[in-house]
Amino acid sequence: MSKLKINLEVNNRKVSRETEPHKRLLDFLRDDLNLTGAKEGCGAGECGTCSVFVDGKLVKSCLMPVAKAAGTKIETIEGLAEPGTLTPMQKAFYKTGASQCGYCIPGMVMAATSALRENPSAGIEEIKERLGGNICRCTGYTKIFEAVELARDVIAGDIPQEALEEDAVGSSYIGHNVRRIDAPSKVSGRLRYAADIKMHDMLQLQVLRSPHPHAKIISIDTSDAEAMEGVVCVLTSDDVPAQTDGFGVFVHDQPIMARGKVRHVGEAVAAVAAEDLVTARRAVAKIKVVYEELPGVFDPEDAMKSGAAVVHDYAENNIVKHIPVRKGDVEAGFANADIVLEDDFSTQQVEHAYLEPEAGIAYVDPDDVIVVMSPSQNITHHRHMLAHILGKPINKVRFIMSAVGGGFGGKEDMIYQGMLAIAAIKTHRPVQLNFTREESIIASAKRHPSRTHYKMGLKWNGEITAIQFNMISDGGAYGMSSEGVMRKAAILSCGPYEVHNLSVDTTAVYTNNTPSGAFRTFGGMQAQFATESMMDMAAEALEMDPFEIRRVNMMKIGSKTHTQHELSAASLDRCLDAAETESRWEKGTPNVRGNKRSDLGGDDTRAPCTLGARFTNNKNSDNERVA
Amino acid sequence: MERKLRGRGIAASWYGIARTATIDRAGAWAELDDGGTAKIVTGVTEIGEGILTLLAQVAADELGIKPSEVTIGDNDTARSPEAAHAGATRQTYMIGNAVHLASQEAKKHLFEQLAEHWNVEVDTLQSFDGEVWSNDTNLRITMEKAVAICKSRGVVPVGSASFTAHGTGLDPVDGSGSPWQTYVFGTQVAEVEVDTYTGEVQVLGIWAVHDVGRAINPRGVEGQIEGGVVQGLGQALMENYETVNGHTTTHGFAKYILPTSLDIPQINCTLIEDKDPLSPLGAKGIGEPSLVPTAPAIMNAIYDAIGVRMKSLPATPEKILQALKDKVPGREHFVHAAREQRAQAHRN
Repeated sequence: MSKLKINLEVNNRKVSRETEPHKRLLDFLRDDLNLTGAKEGCGAGECGTCSVFVDGKLVKSCLMPVAKAAGTKIETIEGLAEPGTLTPMQKAFYKTGASQCGYCIPGMVMAATSALRENPSAGIEEIKERLGGNICRCTGYTKIFEAVELARDVIAGDIPQEALEEDAVGSSYIGHNVRRIDAPSKVSGRLRYAADIKMHDMLQLQVLRSPHPHAKIISIDTSDAEAMEGVVCVLTSDDVPAQTDGFGVFVHDQPIMARGKVRHVGEAVAAVAAEDLVTARRAVAKIKVVYEELPGVFDPEDAMKSGAAVVHDYAENNIVKHIPVRKGDVEAGFANADIVLEDDFSTQQVEHAYLEPEAGIAYVDPDDVIVVMSPSQNITHHRHMLAHILGKPINKVRFIMSAVGGGFGGKEDMIYQGMLAIAAIKTHRPVQLNFTREESIIASAKRHPSRTHYKMGLKWNGEITAIQFNMISDGGAYGMSSEGVMRKAAILSCGPYEVHNLSVDTTAVYTNNTPSGAFRTFGGMQAQFATESMMDMAAEALEMDPFEIRRVNMMKIGSKTHTQHELSAASLDRCLDAAETESRWEKGTPNVRGNKRSDLGGDDTRAPCTLGARFTNNKNSDNERVA
Repeated sequence: MERKLRGRGIAASWYGIARTATIDRAGAWAELDDGGTAKIVTGVTEIGEGILTLLAQVAADELGIKPSEVTIGDNDTARSPEAAHAGATRQTYMIGNAVHLASQEAKKHLFEQLAEHWNVEVDTLQSFDGEVWSNDTNLRITMEKAVAICKSRGVVPVGSASFTAHGTGLDPVDGSGSPWQTYVFGTQVAEVEVDTYTGEVQVLGIWAVHDVGRAINPRGVEGQIEGGVVQGLGQALMENYETVNGHTTTHGFAKYILPTSLDIPQINCTLIEDKDPLSPLGAKGIGEPSLVPTAPAIMNAIYDAIGVRMKSLPATPEKILQALKDKVPGREHFVHAAREQRAQAHRN
């Protein structure tokens, strides 16, 4: 490959390098200059994690070919402050707790810095608009807004520098707003995530993924790939011991790489370890797989019908797990009801969208221990599963949790660490695999979608007499956390209310869709979305205030939960009281009285906006729209 | 109908803390180190929620040093004791208590040596923020000195602990069981504005009230609530991973829509501290529970604003417009029927 000679200035230093012409500015900064503060979150200019300044303008470096950066002045997060120091903006992020996982934070700090450089007195609306191109998945942005406003006021001299320092401690560090100890490394871009780490002699792994939702693998021909210069090894399920292959949080139904058939689009089929990323990608394209497509099932209710395609042989009815919860006498409860409501609710599959795509490194250490370093949320269980699959004593498998750029449950599944480990064992060289965003989206689990049929009986005074709750959920192609999600959904199903008669069923079903897995609330939100909607519908029918109907039914100390656990503590009464007071709630029936309410638009709300048309750039005399 | 209509809704919620329907456990090691610093070693920690800082606070408070003097070694199955996994709203509860107990043991060894050295009763000793003293005496030294004295007597002040939360499995027939040791509750109120021309919903305010047991780092708790609320808002209004015959149609962030800074309501947090009686710290957890009530509170607010009940998430502009178009006057009819029935029942 012919090289491109490039001269530019990076963080006030002249840089002159030869590089590959296909590189983006982001690749050049990260790979050639080892400036890994700019991250690749999406590779498509959507998320802003790769933001840098080019000639003073905020630019998404994943969208700029490196050749275009020739002759420019680049400023990255590493160049904002002298090593060991922080700018007021970075200090403000540190002070307010604006960094959580930290992966979006270098880009966010760049965007925030840009906002105040463009307009040092920017108001909150303008700040929000100027941060609009940067996604944060952890913080809910609120502490970030606070940080930018704090930095603005300190820089302007409106409030003293000391406002950026930690508050003095009182008599205890419990209950004290200690600043996050990991924040300085995050706001300065110094913290290295798995994709930012380089090891000597390291190979790059790339994965061939299934284009079919359900197909038999007739043959895999890797010979062309293996013959390529720079390819060090090619992996298929033949490289995994068949007897022990299989992982999962509850049921070990997922092979390291597809074995015999593929069950969802994006499933790993083969992998190539090569001297560099481009070679690995080219080699993957040369692997020839012959598939025989199979009929697929794409709807959980269809999947339970007789004659439906079977996703896993061990589960002929495609049911991953059914959890029943019974309490009291449901029929008697409904018979005793003054009013019975019945309805259906559904929720969608949701992507975790952690800003850090999956990434990892595996190597064999001098003690013949296979080490896997990745942002795994469950290194303990992964160690167990991988030791079993590889037939190694457990102390010969070591998992290190690298800095996690957001997880939310999505990094509990061992969907790539097995391939990395086997490649390292086969080559005895460090091996790295960094997912693209697209790869992360098709290969990782999602929040379980749900369909809930709900029946609730109540007395005129609002007391619930019985609930029948039936949730069906698409678990997708592999079991992952489905069992636990169904269990938690069932346990929490009918909400924080003491219900004496109930019948709850939750069922997860295999299909050939992208798998569903662990996701923050683990079934709890799907179930309680249905319950809380029903509570308001019941309040409307009974002409009760929504707080009141909840108080009539709420769990108290001594209440028995849906699984008949007697509570020794319960705080819902205090939560309801505080919510009612704090929100200045105007009592009344939830019957579309929004227009007539007097509690709207307080100074504890934000102003509504017209997206993209809210402020003009004051520097220009014409009314240029900025967003 | 006016173009832009506002409304409010509420939702309550509950959640269990730590792993479900099983015996959860976590281990930790502690050492009071030279210079009056400390080492804490435990199996898993940070995924962004702030647990590292929380553990430093817990250790510092128990040992009597500053959080900045605590070094945490973690996240390595071959170099640290098992602490299970980073999820299930379990880290504060499980690992926080394990670190608290391990620190307590390390301090006990130090205090025993120091009490003998000073010839005072061990229970007169206290430490905070880098100093150790004996109550009602003039004996007061730095933690650095205290550690040196302890070591000069041949004792390295170390501790280890395991914390357990007892849950039981569910009965396979009726599901009965005690899946968690402790529960949290919460309530959120949402205020929305719906544009009836475009179907767009803006959430203008959220009042989030959550019981966290004990707020070790209040700002960190707020951060978890704000993040949970915004993920809940995303699921409520825009996020939708879609597939057609198993092939995704939302393969990147251009198609998979996420909340940005322009979508964020003012989030007003209120923390309720109903201390957990079953654990030494009294703290519970907040990571997952903060997300649970957001979507139903928003849907209830949308109903309050425009009278259509969104029962299928997400409530996208397209769905809202369709629902407004299809709006059947059935709900009012139903309420009227219920009222009639109730009046009838009253007469009987």
